[in-house]
Amino acid sequence: MASALPSGDMGAAEANSGNGGQMQKKPFTFNEIVLRNRLTALVVDGDNFCRLLEQGILQAYGLETQSVNNGDAAVELIASGAKFDLILIDMLLPILDGVEATRRIRAMGMRCKMLGVTACSGERERQAFLAAGVDVFVEKPLGPEILIPVLRELDGQV
Amino acid sequence: MERNPLRRQLQIMRKSLFDQGYLDEQFVQLEELQDESNPNFVEEVVTLYYRDSARLILNIEQALERKPYNFHKLDAYMHQFKGSSSSIGAKKVKAESTLFREYCKSGNGEGCMRCFQQLKKEYTTLRKKLEAYFQVARQAGPMETACRPK
Repeated sequence: MASALPSGDMGAAEANSGNGGQMQKKPFTFNEIVLRNRLTALVVDGDNFCRLLEQGILQAYGLETQSVNNGDAAVELIASGAKFDLILIDMLLPILDGVEATRRIRAMGMRCKMLGVTACSGERERQAFLAAGVDVFVEKPLGPEILIPVLRELDGQV
Repeated sequence: MERNPLRRQLQIMRKSLFDQGYLDEQFVQLEELQDESNPNFVEEVVTLYYRDSARLILNIEQALERKPYNFHKLDAYMHQFKGSSSSIGAKKVKAESTLFREYCKSGNGEGCMRCFQQLKKEYTTLRKKLEAYFQVARQAGPMETACRPK
């Protein structure tokens, strides 16, 4: 497969930032958003495909991204000082689940926008994830109707 | 109306996939990420999905062969499968995944088995339809402009 998708991270956090060797940045972004600022995002998803796809989508919108495949790696990455404008985090994650990972990330003082992007659809799961600290609970897939307003807000366009 | 016969055929196939409920809006978002620099993006994403999800299908099959059922494990596998299926806009597959998870939550083993059989049918049917669609797309060649929402 051509490297139209990010190469992805299979283990602990690897610097997968920027677009080198990954999806090319587009001069124009779809759905009429053009970012004026450099925005960074972390994708936390245990599913290889979803992680790569979400990274690819964010990169298509112009963000620099990193990704990890479990909650513990996400917490470690934040604890190491990495800063992000946006974190997409799944609920069911290996090693440390998304709810607990979110709680620990927030406890470290990370105030960035966090989207809980999960295949879970129950109200109980939604409340648990929001209570842990995600700003928005999103049932997969993450669509432009959710993402673009978030990006506009982060980019100061609102 | 599209004059190129292959493009016309492609339009009809695409419309059918949506009209018959095989695909939803998420597929459109993938199409929006496709352009001249990534002309086969959607096909690549779908190929990756089928490659990746085959492992999950196998895991679920094996888990359903073990009695008593471990509904927690089955649910976890299907949670993952549902997530990736919804990410390509596989609407019917996603619906069966949701139903399967409900059967897991209620501890209904027979329901899980029946649902899984139906899920595999939908999964395979979609694969065949998308393979045919992409074959025509390749023959038709890249579009002159980037994809835009319908």
